[in-house]
Amino acid sequence: MIQVTGLSKNYGDKQALKNINLRLERGRVYGIAGENGAGKTTLFRCIAGLETCEGEIRADKDPLKNHLGLLPTEPYFFSRITGIEYIRLLCNARQKQEADIESRNIFELPLKRYASTYSTGMKKKLALMAILLQDNDYFILDEPFNGVDIQSNIVITELILSLKQRNKIVVVSSHIFSTLHDTCDEIHLLHEGMIQRSVQKDGFGALEAEMKEASVGKKIDQLFKD
Amino acid sequence: MKAYFLLHVTLLNRRIKDAGIDPRIGWLLLVSGFILFSFLLFDRTRLAPFIYTAIALGLLVPLTEKRRTDFLRTCFNDPVFRQVRMAENGLVALPFFIFLVFKQQYVIALALLALAAILALFNFRSLPVPAMPTPFSKKPFEFTIGFRNAFYLLGGIYILTAVAVSVNNPNLGIFSLLALFAIILGFYLKPENEYYVWIYSLTPTEFLLEKIKTAWLFSAMIVAADLVALLIFFPEKTGLLILFTIIGFALLTSMILAKYADYPGEIGLLNGIILAFCLAFPPLLLIAIPYFYNRATGSLNRILK
Repeated sequence: MIQVTGLSKNYGDKQALKNINLRLERGRVYGIAGENGAGKTTLFRCIAGLETCEGEIRADKDPLKNHLGLLPTEPYFFSRITGIEYIRLLCNARQKQEADIESRNIFELPLKRYASTYSTGMKKKLALMAILLQDNDYFILDEPFNGVDIQSNIVITELILSLKQRNKIVVVSSHIFSTLHDTCDEIHLLHEGMIQRSVQKDGFGALEAEMKEASVGKKIDQLFKD
Repeated sequence: MKAYFLLHVTLLNRRIKDAGIDPRIGWLLLVSGFILFSFLLFDRTRLAPFIYTAIALGLLVPLTEKRRTDFLRTCFNDPVFRQVRMAENGLVALPFFIFLVFKQQYVIALALLALAAILALFNFRSLPVPAMPTPFSKKPFEFTIGFRNAFYLLGGIYILTAVAVSVNNPNLGIFSLLALFAIILGFYLKPENEYYVWIYSLTPTEFLLEKIKTAWLFSAMIVAADLVALLIFFPEKTGLLILFTIIGFALLTSMILAKYADYPGEIGLLNGIILAFCLAFPPLLLIAIPYFYNRATGSLNRILK
């Protein structure tokens, strides 16, 4: 369980997160949806402990950060480190034995090549694979589907569902609604730093229609005035 | 090109300001600190010209960093890019060159200028090399990357040791040992992305000890061959060689701690000056190491709590 109570974050005068309250249960997948700048990444960084913030974050495994696999939106790689070394570095950091990385290379990545030479999608897959091999209890996946090919998209969807079956807590953000629809049990809609509403699986269809209406509306007609 | 260098002056001023010092006072401190350090160094050891050159090289090598030079290439066309790199290296080497000339070390001064020019021209990092195997892959990070980046320099220094042995010049041998340490110190110059600290399930103290332990082990692997050869061929310099090795390891420790003292920022001006004084007068390390340790644990507390 992860319990977030009264989480707020300010950058100077700007309030990036306002009184966020979340209870995340094991064996469930949570989606965080919201437009650019809504505060998704800030929320993730606060939960991970990468940002100082007001409020309380508790987890059944303490400290939370030592059991959390964080997939950043744009994973950073050093210029001269190979894929296999990157995985080893992340496993070493958590004192995990990185047994047989090659055979667990489900994305068929060229692990002996420098990670910095990978494509955007390959980088994402490498970063994801590394946090999976860390054997974490909690996962925060910030845009895991970005830049990834269709086949890997399917694999990532299945991976998330498999993590759920393994009683992990998974939090996913995505700009592609269908990926949230396929993986999540509950979606929290973040708007201007606040949880605007939380929707269970049976309400996803209505939520998507509502979001479509709110974001598209008559904008397309406005563009093509014919 | 002028705009590029003016921008760097602005950036330097900004960094001095960020350290809470008026830029004019900061520049004055930098210049006077450099002069004082130079006099102290040359006053204390006959190896000063070599140490001095090693320090200059330690500053020049990071300028050849691939992403940095790639960025410059995208900004300037080829002739201007080469001019910029020449000017950068010239500016870095100039204070060292002037002092070496002042100390009548003409050959070393010219050699330094030549090395600065070569480093500006010879873009050995951009060669399309496949992933180079290293003996440090079990614990990848600073040494894996540093070894790959400085592979040719390390090779050159081993050759220099062989030359020192063949011409029976122990001072050159000691210089090569110090140069190895200078290169290793360079591995710890830049702070890593905070994600690479955050991933550790260690307390700040455990994290720092782990970093120091790995650095000592891997440095020993790099230095061992050089040191053993020098001990065998120059047994009369055993005391000096052991002393410089101990100082090398102590400097490495202080460098790692200093790196995290200002983390996630780069090593600040004040800590940089303290490090420079430690280079000139190593007994200061006895005070600097605990000081940097305290600062480092404080800085890391936020991420590794």
